[in-house]
Amino acid sequence: MLADDPRLAAILNHPAVWRGGSAALSSAVPTGIPALEACLPGHGWPQVGLVEILTSRLGIGELYLILPALAWLTRQPAARWCAWITPPAGPFAERALPPWHRFGPLEPFAPTLVAHGVSLSRVLVVRADAPLWACEQALRSGACDVTLAWVQRVQPRALRRLQLATERGRTLAFLFRALSAHTLRESSRAPLRIAVQPATEGVRLTLLNSRGGTRGDVIVSFERP
Amino acid sequence: MSARPTASRATDRADRKPAEVAAPALRALRLVPQQPAARPHFQARELWIGVHLPHLALEALSSDARREAAHPQAVVELQGNAPYVVVANGPAARAGVRTGMSVAAALALVPQLTTKPRDVRREQALLERLATCAQRFTPRVSLSPPDGVLLEVRGSLHLFGGAAALGASFRADCSAAGSRPRLALAPTALAALAAARVGEPFEVTDVARLTGALSPLPLAALRWPPKMLERLAKVGVRTIGEALRLPRGGFARRFGREPLAALDRLVGRSADLRTGFRAPERFRARRGFTYELDQHDALLAAITPLLERLAKFLEARQCGITRLECHLEHRHAPATPCVLELVAPAADPRRLKALLDERLAKLQWPEPVRSCELRSGKLVPCPPDTPSLWQPGEQGGGARAASTDLIECLRARLGFESVHGLEIHASHRPEAVSSAQLRIEAQPVTAASGRAPFASGAPAAPPWRAFRRPLWLLAQPAPLSEVGGLPCWDGPLRLAGEPERIETGWWDGEEVARDYYHAIDPRGARLWVFRERAKPHRWFLHGVFG
Repeated sequence: MLADDPRLAAILNHPAVWRGGSAALSSAVPTGIPALEACLPGHGWPQVGLVEILTSRLGIGELYLILPALAWLTRQPAARWCAWITPPAGPFAERALPPWHRFGPLEPFAPTLVAHGVSLSRVLVVRADAPLWACEQALRSGACDVTLAWVQRVQPRALRRLQLATERGRTLAFLFRALSAHTLRESSRAPLRIAVQPATEGVRLTLLNSRGGTRGDVIVSFERP
Repeated sequence: MSARPTASRATDRADRKPAEVAAPALRALRLVPQQPAARPHFQARELWIGVHLPHLALEALSSDARREAAHPQAVVELQGNAPYVVVANGPAARAGVRTGMSVAAALALVPQLTTKPRDVRREQALLERLATCAQRFTPRVSLSPPDGVLLEVRGSLHLFGGAAALGASFRADCSAAGSRPRLALAPTALAALAAARVGEPFEVTDVARLTGALSPLPLAALRWPPKMLERLAKVGVRTIGEALRLPRGGFARRFGREPLAALDRLVGRSADLRTGFRAPERFRARRGFTYELDQHDALLAAITPLLERLAKFLEARQCGITRLECHLEHRHAPATPCVLELVAPAADPRRLKALLDERLAKLQWPEPVRSCELRSGKLVPCPPDTPSLWQPGEQGGGARAASTDLIECLRARLGFESVHGLEIHASHRPEAVSSAQLRIEAQPVTAASGRAPFASGAPAAPPWRAFRRPLWLLAQPAPLSEVGGLPCWDGPLRLAGEPERIETGWWDGEEVARDYYHAIDPRGARLWVFRERAKPHRWFLHGVFG
């Protein structure tokens, strides 16, 4: 390998040298999952930016992917809000789960969050008819460290707006959407875009967009009940 | 008052001999001014109405005075371990319930007695309300907590047709506020208050007649410490007149200077300085429009000058508000209210305008708006924020103001209940453990909660292994269909692992007896399902692992 050459390594370590893979090295949120960290740019979730997570079905393990990051962020000394915007009450209805409406919306279950180390005092739950509006407000206000949002249909323009809002508020945003042939095809400005599908042990992740990182499939198995 | 310096010297000497401290001898001696604080030529040119509210504790808690007056009631307070009666209403007092009685004794006398716990904050609020009423009659009103108000009325008597007329109209104001005061008129504040506490008609306008009128009143009206009253009673001093006749030097040595000074203030020999009552400030401004407005943005533009005035008002006082009412007035229809409730005190006009904008956009009004009135809630001290070196999200940069701004902005548009936090209750029933917390703490101390894995405040550790619980819970368990005894949800579910039995609540009627399973549906989602232990043994879906 060329990089093993100490002279080349010295040149590459120079701050003026910029390479594609070093885009997100500045700050990253630990994912707590080594297999995922290995292939993410900066070896963690970006601290600022939009992360799109496409899931084939609600409940296959997509939240366990980000729980360690939520725990880490909410327990920082000057932690800001961790906003859950419109937890699914039916956005996945047609593809992922039969209608929930009759039984009321899904509620984040606080004891499990606490058991995974999330500080409840920083958790904010928002229910909005227009989740994108609420999400943009939360992102650009600068009051949140991380925002989770569940949306069904998003225009590429709206994604661009959300990405700009994350930069303005210095916020990390996870956007959960249903995985379909249509969402796979569409273009997205999100720096990180991951498809999640169930596997025999854990989940199979497909990195669709990964600015400065590797693309491709990763099998991630993690501790789940 | 005759000043006899020779006698005073004699008293001094006499006081040192205990044999001569006998009550008859003391009574024979005249009180002689000797202290430099006592100025014999001081002349009070004031006239005070003392207001005593004997039933304040009861009145502060009453909601329907007329209905409640028919039933025996008492306000009680804990003293040590035992509750005792603070005040009892008419029927209870007639049956023998007295102030200071233990509640057990009171209930023995009147078994149907209703007891209410004392609320000092509401008493204070009622007292301030009465003081605000009193400001109609005079600018010099002062509070005498816990149950007195003083009005200086020398200058206003002729405006209200004399003391009796003024007293009557103040009484009417008080009864409108649900309070029955006792009034007394005297040239000094303390005398007016003491006479009001005694409760007999007392109207003295002349200082010269004051000492004589006060003489028969009991010393207890001065509210001196009970031990001191007891000591005075032992030497036969029970009325104010008897106390006034005691020699000053000895009195000061035995009981301290403060009671002596109080006696001087009582009879007008020294000035009685009192802090004036100032009603809590509010902002209130009104603006009539040239045209009737129908569009919400035009209306907002018309309200903006009022908001700017509010901002200047708040800035000058370094205060913020947590409540803002905006009344939109119409030609015929009653005014449309629009109320903003804020999480943290705000003073910034741009922020208030943005919130009002969201609120007005959602509001419907029956007719075009002709005028608008802005009213603030109570002012809250709100020192200007120091800007942080760091931007929010940077190293060490928290989001101070932004964190409450976001909540208010979202609440203004989505409604109050749509934005909430989470809290944990100690319970074994899964549906009762986690609930929405509407009162969001604006700035929790994150440094402390960051260390402990379980946030303090909430029950530290859930009473069971929370790792086995799902991340999503359905608000209500959803019944599942069944094929061959196994649950189905979009196809048959595969049950994984051992069941967990939750059996609780048999003692409070909301019994839960369930066997919970982890289930995996055909498309890979993990669900939390349970089978009822009771007879039909139905299956339900209760949660989704994230």
